[in-house]
Amino acid sequence: MLTIRWVLLLCGWLSVNALAAETAEHLPAQAFQDSEGCLLCHKYPRMARITEDGVLRKYFIQPEVFARTVHRNVPCRDCHTEINELPHKPVKIGVTCNTECHSVKNPATGKPFSHKPIYDAFRESVHGRSKVAEGTDADKPYCVTCHTNPLYNPQEAMPPPKITDRCVLCHEDRTFVNRWYNHTSRRIREVRRTPEQIVALCSTCHDDQRVIERHLAKAKAEGREMGRKYPLAVESYYESFHGKMVKYGFNAAANCLDCHADQVNYYKSVHEIRPSRDPASPVSKERRVNTCKRCHTYADQNYAQLDPHPTSTREGNMFRYFAEKIYNIVGYVVIAALLGLSLFETIGRRRDGVGWRLTHGSSWWRKSKRGRKRII
Amino acid sequence: MKLSKEAHDVLETSMRQNHVSHKDRAEINAVVEMLPEDRVLLYKNVVSNPLGDIYRYSIHIRIQHMLTFVTFLTLAFTGLPIHFFEAFWAEPFNNLLGGVGITRVIHRTIAVVMIFSMIYHVFTITFGSLARIRAKKFDIRRTIIPLWKDIRDFRADLHYFAGKRTQRPEMDKFNYKQKLHYFAAAFGNGVMVLSGSSFLFPDIWAMILPASIASHWQELMRLSHPHEALLALLVIAFWHWYNVHLAPGRFPMQWTFLTGKITREHQMEEHFLEYLRNLVELPAERKALQDVLESRELVPESLSMTGEPAPGHKGA
Repeated sequence: MLTIRWVLLLCGWLSVNALAAETAEHLPAQAFQDSEGCLLCHKYPRMARITEDGVLRKYFIQPEVFARTVHRNVPCRDCHTEINELPHKPVKIGVTCNTECHSVKNPATGKPFSHKPIYDAFRESVHGRSKVAEGTDADKPYCVTCHTNPLYNPQEAMPPPKITDRCVLCHEDRTFVNRWYNHTSRRIREVRRTPEQIVALCSTCHDDQRVIERHLAKAKAEGREMGRKYPLAVESYYESFHGKMVKYGFNAAANCLDCHADQVNYYKSVHEIRPSRDPASPVSKERRVNTCKRCHTYADQNYAQLDPHPTSTREGNMFRYFAEKIYNIVGYVVIAALLGLSLFETIGRRRDGVGWRLTHGSSWWRKSKRGRKRII
Repeated sequence: MKLSKEAHDVLETSMRQNHVSHKDRAEINAVVEMLPEDRVLLYKNVVSNPLGDIYRYSIHIRIQHMLTFVTFLTLAFTGLPIHFFEAFWAEPFNNLLGGVGITRVIHRTIAVVMIFSMIYHVFTITFGSLARIRAKKFDIRRTIIPLWKDIRDFRADLHYFAGKRTQRPEMDKFNYKQKLHYFAAAFGNGVMVLSGSSFLFPDIWAMILPASIASHWQELMRLSHPHEALLALLVIAFWHWYNVHLAPGRFPMQWTFLTGKITREHQMEEHFLEYLRNLVELPAERKALQDVLESRELVPESLSMTGEPAPGHKGA
């Protein structure tokens, strides 16, 4: 298998040399500066392989697309640190998000820029895992699971000329100005997902029965206890008022992160979600009331008892299960009884029912025919 | 007609409460005596004004019915698309109103009107009853309060429907069906207000209730609101509409909810005891009844001027 890969890489390398000059002419003016020559190989659409697991992995880079990503100014090897020679050997770990950039400096500290602080917070969380994870850890999200780095943000399509017209007077290059504007204003604008998107994102794992079963089985084997609502998190959320409201498109209702992430430093705390049994979790017994109070002004200890993930299964909530059963029985009995009574009355009164009224007149609209002669 | 003990008691009470003069008392007794034994024959032959002959509901009750009628249907048709948001039919309903956000606002606003209607009703019946008590004209049998007689009436009515009785029971101003329906609606309204307020003010309810039941309460209310709504809608659709539109004698509809008056025919059939009170309270009704009885030759032989036996009388 290893040999095949080497052959592939070699072929790639040879074709790179043959076509390098031609391709360079076709690169758009805004393409990123490929100072390390990675595109020599990675510009080819067929640069790919099928892994041992049967997954097709593409190594093709479109420079004009990469030039639109947030990492466009970062040279490849700042992140792909394992690559030290050309053609390079197969990578084992790949890009980890806690790598320190060699080329990009943090303008505030002058140190190499890195996502390490947020990465460390993530590693501490219940979701924390390493880049290469095995077993149930592989089910957990890594940075790129959530940070999909969309190429197109409609809010960034057209920076307001009223502002950028001014910048461009000295900074000359409008492309640079537009990018700079979007970069600096992005965090001023609200760029987090909508509540619906957040729930959908969390649901990709928390509503996946295979993932749930794997984690439950592992916890059982290790003698660990999982949260009571863990297997029903998404289903029960949609049963709740919060879930319904979010489904209806109301952004004010609580989504997963509103309760499970600390609001003090939201953007950091969403990376360090903890299980509810951890006292540091905003939904732990100790902190739950304050979390509820953020929206429900008069929330107290009693209020914190309300189940935000209501279920009606017998195991999950016996009270609700039987209440629902009784309600259904009462409903059916009442309707059947009333229908039965109406039917009985109609049949029982055939002798003076609708037919009789039609023959002898009714006192609905005008004087009845009954004024004419006596009915015996 | 020889009155039953119950009917006689109602008549006597009414005459006492209305301070009826000896002359009137004699007149009332005479007209009651003229009634044929067979009440079916009586209401089948009587001439009624379709818009109603006898005053039954005050303007307040009619307004309350109208408010309940409008708010109930609006609440049902805004609440159902909210609850069954994902059903195929819910979307056009919600879109018709401007989206589920608007549907919710309408639902809550109309709920306030419904609560107002409830309070208005409680005030009306409380002060109405107090005024009657003060005037010494209160008779519990004439109210909506359920009595043992209602169970007897229900049983007798079932016998009548089964063909084991020739006449319906002598029912009062509100018969067993009306009482059952009234209290079902009152209970339903109560449940809807409690559960609706639990959705709107969950924190306030949790504060009021003990911790041990706060969560159960909320869950019960969340179940109750849609269940009660559906039940109420089905009861209205299958029973109230049956009783006021489809039932024999009521088809296709009555005008009482607008005019406040009931037809003579209906009053005799379903509210005979109240009709006896009408004979006491309304001298014109005595006259009208007498005219009907005489013109239809329903007066018993012994009282008849013509000497011909009237049908429906024993010995006729």
